[in-house]
Amino acid sequence: MLTFAFRKVLTLVGTMIGIAALTFVITNVAPGDPARLVAGPNATEDMVATIRTEYGLDKSLAEQFVVYMGDLAHGDLGTSIITTRPVLEEVLRYAPATLELVFVAMGLGIVIGVPLGMLSAVYKDGPLDQVTRIFSISGVALPAFWFGILLQLLFSVDLGWLPVSGRLPLVTRPPEALTGLLLVDSLLAGQFSTFWVSFQHIILPAIVLSFPCLASILRVNRAEMIEVLQSDYIVAARAHGISSFRIVALYALKNALLPTLAMIGLRFGWMLGSTVLVETVFDWPGIGLYAVSSALSSDFKPVVGVTLMIGFFFIVANTLVDLAYAWIDPRLRKA
Amino acid sequence: MSLLDIKDYRLDIDTFDGPVHVLKGINLSINRGDTLGIVGESGSGKTVLVRSVLGIGPRNARVIEGGISFDGQNITNLSEKEWAKIRGIRISMIFQDPMTYLNPLFSIGRQISDVIAAHEKAAGHGVSPKAARRTRTEELLDQVGLPNPAMLFSQYPHQLSGGMRQRVLIAMALAGKPDILIADEPTTALDVTVQAQVLDLINSLVEKLNLTVIMISHDIGAIATVARRCAVMYKGEIVEQGLTRDILSNPQHDYTKRLLSAVPDIDAAPERVAARPAASEPAKSRFLLEAVDLKKVYRSQSGEDFTAVNSLSLSVRTGEIFGVVGESGSGKSTLARMLLRLIDPTSGDVIFDGQNISGLSEKALRAMRRHMQFVFQNPHSALNGRHTIGDAIGEPLRLQTKMGRREIEARIEALLDIVQLPRLFKYRYPHELSGGQKQRVCIARAIALNPRLLVLDEPTSALDISVQAQVLEFLQQLRAEMNLTYVFISHNLAVIRQICDRTIVMKHGEIVEQGETEQIFLHPRENYTRTLIESGRKTSQAADL
Amino acid sequence: MTATSMPPMNSSNDTEAARPLSFRERHASEIRQWRLYAHMFRKSFSSMLGLSLVVVFLLLAAFGPWIVPFPEAASGAINMSSKLLPPNGTYWFGTDEMGADIFSRVIIGARTSLWIGVVITGIAALIGVPLGILAGYRGGWVRAVIMRVTELFLAVPGLALALAIVAALGPGITNCVLALSIVWWPGYVRLVEAKTLSIKEELFIESARSIGARTPWILWHHILPNCLSPIIVKMSMDMGMAILSAASLGFIGLGAQPPSPEWGAMISVARTYMPDWWWYSLFPGAAIFLTVLGFNLLGDGLRDILDPRSRDR
Repeated sequence: MLTFAFRKVLTLVGTMIGIAALTFVITNVAPGDPARLVAGPNATEDMVATIRTEYGLDKSLAEQFVVYMGDLAHGDLGTSIITTRPVLEEVLRYAPATLELVFVAMGLGIVIGVPLGMLSAVYKDGPLDQVTRIFSISGVALPAFWFGILLQLLFSVDLGWLPVSGRLPLVTRPPEALTGLLLVDSLLAGQFSTFWVSFQHIILPAIVLSFPCLASILRVNRAEMIEVLQSDYIVAARAHGISSFRIVALYALKNALLPTLAMIGLRFGWMLGSTVLVETVFDWPGIGLYAVSSALSSDFKPVVGVTLMIGFFFIVANTLVDLAYAWIDPRLRKA
Repeated sequence: MSLLDIKDYRLDIDTFDGPVHVLKGINLSINRGDTLGIVGESGSGKTVLVRSVLGIGPRNARVIEGGISFDGQNITNLSEKEWAKIRGIRISMIFQDPMTYLNPLFSIGRQISDVIAAHEKAAGHGVSPKAARRTRTEELLDQVGLPNPAMLFSQYPHQLSGGMRQRVLIAMALAGKPDILIADEPTTALDVTVQAQVLDLINSLVEKLNLTVIMISHDIGAIATVARRCAVMYKGEIVEQGLTRDILSNPQHDYTKRLLSAVPDIDAAPERVAARPAASEPAKSRFLLEAVDLKKVYRSQSGEDFTAVNSLSLSVRTGEIFGVVGESGSGKSTLARMLLRLIDPTSGDVIFDGQNISGLSEKALRAMRRHMQFVFQNPHSALNGRHTIGDAIGEPLRLQTKMGRREIEARIEALLDIVQLPRLFKYRYPHELSGGQKQRVCIARAIALNPRLLVLDEPTSALDISVQAQVLEFLQQLRAEMNLTYVFISHNLAVIRQICDRTIVMKHGEIVEQGETEQIFLHPRENYTRTLIESGRKTSQAADL
Repeated sequence: MTATSMPPMNSSNDTEAARPLSFRERHASEIRQWRLYAHMFRKSFSSMLGLSLVVVFLLLAAFGPWIVPFPEAASGAINMSSKLLPPNGTYWFGTDEMGADIFSRVIIGARTSLWIGVVITGIAALIGVPLGILAGYRGGWVRAVIMRVTELFLAVPGLALALAIVAALGPGITNCVLALSIVWWPGYVRLVEAKTLSIKEELFIESARSIGARTPWILWHHILPNCLSPIIVKMSMDMGMAILSAASLGFIGLGAQPPSPEWGAMISVARTYMPDWWWYSLFPGAAIFLTVLGFNLLGDGLRDILDPRSRDR
């Protein structure tokens, strides 16, 4: 088990290096001249040349790559042109907001998706199953940005129940940042009203973000449950007199959970990617919004920084999923 | 009054093409202490029948008529709650393939003690503490002859051998001290020697625990070893029932007669198809195929070496049927593939008709393949489901010859004639054919190029017994007509005795014994060979007679 | 699935064998198979719904410019007298800030979306399928290299990677499609590689080798046909997802640029006119939703009939 974990961590580091190289290739193989892109459309040749030297873009690609990787190893993601601050610092400042959103959304997806999938498998082809089928297919097809706008229209503008956007109103003093997650920090600081306000703010974006994820967790879990429930060892368990409830809720669920876990890992990454949409709609001050606004103003380093960061979170999540796999499945432990 | 009574039981299963009558009026009764065997080939409905006794039949099944009563209680349409008092407690079941019937994610101990807990709950008194259940579990494991139950308790199914898993399943079935034990093909997935052990175990349990046993199997030998009474099922009906001994010695129904005559008898000297070509064309040497010092070492992912075949030499005479017999893991399939260089040997040479094929280039080897062909174990997966039968048979012609489209079509039809299949079949797809028909197609494909050598890897083990007999007979005819040499690989000793001239016995990648087949069966020199024959005899029909 | 249901095939007698068989007789198996497919497809409400949505979408994409009431709306014609009108008899979906008919723009947008979907899935499959088959069949270092690169691409969420690429290339519809194609092919590699790995173990592959088939023959005649079902299903689903992703980039402002009639870009502009001019974002969004839903349902239905082992997925 330990060597297994060690190997996973090693893979994680390797993949990180790979992603760093990938982002380098993307930025440099692209036909555009990065210096010109940075300088903007109205820049003179001189200005472009200056920027080129300043950013080390006049060196050979190999040299640039070495410098780039060296900087990364030191945690240097470059500097944002717009804010002139180190990208790493900004990414770390924005990351907790994104993570908070993703965690809440993922929680929703699992807590609703797994039981619903289980139920629709048990009552296959029943009314509940029909409803969840339509629900789950349309869930994946729903454009997050449009869905977000519709929810804003209904709950914030029309009904006035929930705030339109943002993470906290300007007037509310944020709690001391321990974890960076407002929901947790406000509870730790005992500011229950702040907790309530930030909870109201996170509901809509979390729902939008979790919807497709919930749908696919539901589908996978349902499919796996159906397959497991038809398997020989479930037939055997029934023949030996184990109660139906125990068979479904314990035996079958544990077996069906393995592929569901894989889907959860996959969807975690997908959610991180979708934050660029949801955060744009809801003005949520996370790394997604940061990446979008930087991209729109041709500020390239932050975009790369955010991509690396998202890749990092994704790999960590997948590593955790792999470990959970080994924890659940005894056949993997020895390998 | 009998313990279990099945009366006029009719059952349909709904499918896309309408209902299929799976059981057509079954009448069967079993008394306490009885051992009943149900014999039938695939599709006879025997599994559906015994599963109905436990209420775990297929989902879309409908009882049309009749019913089942157990100990005076009608159990045809019980609720799940009422079943809980019967399943595993009064009637329990063991299954065919012990790997798939154990949950891979739970330990052996956990699975058995859960069953114990379920029984205690159903009986109405509270669930006993964990430690007590553990003791009981270890007792059960001990009872079925498993060594070291304490260690076994925390192990997982994948860590056990097939025979051990079957014993675990039996222990689980005995947890509730059942009145009736249903055994659904309990030995089919096991090796011959393990089969014999499991049958012995069932027999000893019947005696010790006064069990009533219903065992279903396609293997008449296994039934004869365990069951005193026996019923023969065919297409959803019981065509004959009575004392096993009577049925075996004096079958009444046509189907039973056919079935019994199809079972190869390990103790019968074969009647050979005499037509051995008197003066075959002079081959370059007396031996068509020779293997010298063949060795195959696999490296597993963890870096350990596993020797599948070790320094094995053999020579196959032109025109003979050369048998290779061994249990699973003996390396016989690896050997077969190396003989045709479908797998490259780690070291050693294969000489075909005086030419060493180990050193041949890819291109020369491909050309060589027209002289030596392979027939695979499982005809269901040896044919590409996306190709028509005609495509499959014509493929070697398209690859190896310059025949035109029309010639190939004609040849395909000729080949279908040879393997006795309708010509229309060339437009059909494999899934529309039965197992025996598919194997014939595979054979047609193998002989399309008029090869001189056929290597047959368990060509009948995926087929029903009556089909197996037909295919074996056909293979013998074919050899005589086409001047073929066979290397015939099998785990079934009776089949080997029936058709092979000379035989090698393999174990752990090495030859244990070799010689004339009759000689080996009549006067085995090695202990292992003797055990094999003994176990084979136990599962062969002559057992109790 | 169908083995039990074939009518019994009596052996051909000589008179029958002499007579040339009709097309119907020769292809009885295929005809029955297609009948079964059609039957299963028609039986499923969601599959038929998906098919209808896709057909409507394709028709609009083909004939859109000729059937819309205001064809000039697509090119960003300005008509300030009719700006931001709510839906009415003339302007069914209302008008935008330039006074253009939203109904016309939404319908003309279908063609853009179709183009986007076809190009992205096409490029992805053309790159991914051969690489996947190669990796799965060859094994060894070839597989190692292909799969490492594939995993690298898959290690970054597609939308985030596409965003980075578009940021490097500069915004615009072509760059957006290019970026999405770059992040899309690894999915096909993984699908086809896994499928090839399992097919490779089938006996019929070994059987083909035993009669002397070369690798290209095996790949073309045995592996590819057996990979086709999941590829078709994935391509159908991906048509929808590619359209959705392109619209997402358009919404962010990095994809199609206004006033080009692309649904995502339309919503991007419309957002600034929220909440009072709600119809502006409602209809383009609904168009995206229905299109993506159609392709997903169609793919789901196709999977049911083509890939029966995973019927319940």
